[in-house]
Order: sequence, then C-alpha cells, then structure tokens
Amino acid sequence: MEQAAKEKDIPLAPGAERSASLRAALLAEIGEARRQANRGLYALSLFLMVSTLAWREFWFLPPPERLVASLGPPPRPMVISLVLVVYTFSAIVLSLSRMMSGIKHKSSFCHVGYLAIFFLFYYCAGGLADNYWAVFGAGFTILCVESYRIWNFCSATIHRKHEQLAYLERTGHLPPEETEHLDGHE
Amino acid sequence: MFDKIAGRVLIPVGVVVTGFLVVCFALLYSAIKEVVLRDSIAQANNLAGIVLKSTRFAMLKSDRDTNDAIIRNIAEQKGVQHVRIFNKKGVISFSSKPGEAGQQVDIKAEGCVICHAGKEPITTLGPMQKARTFKNVQGMTIMAITAPIYNEPECANAACHFHPAEQLVLGTLDIGLSQQTTLESLASIRGEMYLFAILTLLLTMAGVITVLKMIVLAPMQKLIDYTEISQQQLDLPHPDDLPYELDKIAKSYYLMKERLGRLGSGPDEPRER
Repeated sequence: MEQAAKEKDIPLAPGAERSASLRAALLAEIGEARRQANRGLYALSLFLMVSTLAWREFWFLPPPERLVASLGPPPRPMVISLVLVVYTFSAIVLSLSRMMSGIKHKSSFCHVGYLAIFFLFYYCAGGLADNYWAVFGAGFTILCVESYRIWNFCSATIHRKHEQLAYLERTGHLPPEETEHLDGHE
Repeated sequence: MFDKIAGRVLIPVGVVVTGFLVVCFALLYSAIKEVVLRDSIAQANNLAGIVLKSTRFAMLKSDRDTNDAIIRNIAEQKGVQHVRIFNKKGVISFSSKPGEAGQQVDIKAEGCVICHAGKEPITTLGPMQKARTFKNVQGMTIMAITAPIYNEPECANAACHFHPAEQLVLGTLDIGLSQQTTLESLASIRGEMYLFAILTLLLTMAGVITVLKMIVLAPMQKLIDYTEISQQQLDLPHPDDLPYELDKIAKSYYLMKERLGRLGSGPDEPRER
C-alpha cells in the first residue's frame, strides 16, 4: 500500500503523461463507439413498440371520428400512401449515402417519430388496417439499414481506435495522421 | 459473414430491396383492394336499383304474389344470399327466406342504425354508406346493401293502398351478396404479388452476386493467390489480367517484393531511392 502511494506521488515524465492521456482518450472513444453501436437497435425496438400499439388500433386514443371532429379531416389514405413511398425512398437513399460517405450521424430515433405519425394519419383516415403492413415494412427496412449503418460505422471506429492504441503502446505516440485529430479533441 | 465483402454488400442490398418491395406491394395491394371493393359496392347498388325497378309495378298494384315471385327468383341467382323488403315500421314484408316475412327487426341492427342513429331518420344515403359487410352463420363474407324505397307521386296517388305524399321513405330493400368471388380474386392478386416480389428479390440478389463475383471477388481471389504463391516463388511475374485498381495493387506489391528481394540479396548492393 505504502509502495503504491509512493508510486502515485512520483510525477510522470511529460512524454509518459501525454501517452497516458492519449490512451485514456482513445479508451473513452472506444467506449463511446461501443455504446453508440446499439442505438440503431434501440430505435428499432421502440418502433416495434409503436407498431404493437398501432396493431391494437391505438385503443387508448379517442375514436377517429372524434379526432377528425376536433382536428379537421385528414388526407385521403391514397395521399398518405404516396407520401409514405416518397419518405421510404428518401430515407433509404439518405441512409445509403451516409453509409457510403462514412458520415457520422448517431441517431435514427427521428424515423420512429415520422413512422408513428404515418400510423396516426392512417388511423384518423380510417385506413390503418389496410395499410399497417406498408408502414411496418417501411419502418423495419429503414431502421434495419440505419442500424446496420450505425453498427458498421462504430465497428470501423472501434477497429481504428484499437489499431491506434496498439501503435501508441508500441511507440509512445499516435500515428502521424491521427496526432492532430486527438490533440484537437483534447 | 460480416467480415467478408459479399456479406457486407448482400445484407444491405437484400434488406433495402426486400423492404422497399414489401412497402410498394403492400400499398399497391391496399389500393387495388379499395378499387375492387368500391366497384363491387357500385355493382351491388346497381343490382339493388334493378330489384327496386322490377318490383315497382307489382308494388303499385299491391300484387304480393308477383312481388314474392320476383324476390324468390332474384335470390336463386348465384351469389345472392338474401333479398328482403321492409316496411316503414321495420317489419319484413317480403323475403327470399321462407318464414322471415312478418318479423320485426331491431332498429339498432347494423343495417338500420346508419339511418336511425339520430332522432329523425336519414332519408338519403351515399352509395358507400348503403353497404355493410358481415359474416353469416356459415362464415361467408357477405356484403349487404340497404336501399331506401322512396315515395313517388304514383305511390301517393294510387287507389289501391294510399301513402301520404309527405312520407318520404316507404320502406327499404336489403340485398345480401356473397363476397366469395371478390375475396378469391383479391387472394389471387396477393399471391401473384408475393410471387413477383420473391422473383424480383431473387433476380436482384443473383444480379448483385454475379456482378460482385465477376468484378470484385474473382480478381481479388486471384490477387490473394498471387500474394500467397509469390511468397514461395520469388520470380513470379505479376498477373496481367486484373482490373485497374487491383492491377495497381498487384504492381505495387510486385515492385515492393522485388526491392525487398534486392535488399535481402546482399548488403553491398546500392539502395534505390
């Protein structure tokens, strides 16, 4: 114990101190990437919960007639379906382009909101039973692609950070192209 | 699976193509179903109109036997489940089913409540409002049309049985049609859609696999084989039939190996800069 306390008091050399702080920063980034890798799956789970409520025709909401009386008439189911197709296409293209460019975009929870609104619009228009599987299919596809993109991005980040960590432990400093980035991060 | 290029390519392509097809086919099926059911309701409304026109003369003459015969004959037609005519008080005056005539129906029953929900019954209905769908005791899906029989000058002025001119509706016609054929057609459309979706998916996946194998995977395997063989066979020339990007990698590898070989062959040799 005494020996450990003495070791703690010994000031680290500037190089070793910098190396330790870089190591801590890398480990923190790896932990963060590990946490973010599952965010797509959390969004997918939330969507499945919303879909379950829609499957049971939102029993806790007032009947569609009362909602229409207070909020005004909804668009026709055909119009909602057209918007759903455009939305699904755009969301998939957006997700694929983010995947292709390697853009960091952590969350896909906003899609759960959009899809819940589609369910509600169909509910008010009286077309939920006929169009349930279309919204479910759209949501499942978009969120699966988003989950895959987030997981892929985080896996690549974790892999890169592990390589940097190995390099740091070997040489005491980061690979040249990464030094600037982590210095800026600190 | 996720470590290999094929897995990394096929999974997103498969999910995207399958998902988008499911969405499009689900929406298309829903639109087709709506059109088919609307047409079916329009045809049923036309049929109800034909029945009313057919019975009009017999009603004016108060000829019960002719009316009974007309209703029985119509009900014998394939797909017609029931034909009933109710009077103003909700009593069945004529029915295709023996023994139903004279029975009183509940005003809160599904076919009646559309008009009788309020204090004053509604006298006009749109074609879609006249229709209702239910399952009969045999489990068959039936679409029924409830069409009002309006008072006309001939009815109000008829000598045989008098209706006051201010009475707008004299009774209702209720005709039930089997939806079996419509549902079978919809099931057939659904089956064809599943088939098209599966074929499209299989073709897309086959196309992606073929192109991927031809353009990326086969040349890469060649490059991998080359790197493995060249470790034992030092004078192996680099492969010359690789696509541009892989050819550049193969050439770089070949040059690097050659330089390393020259460096390793003797310390006296000059180093290239």
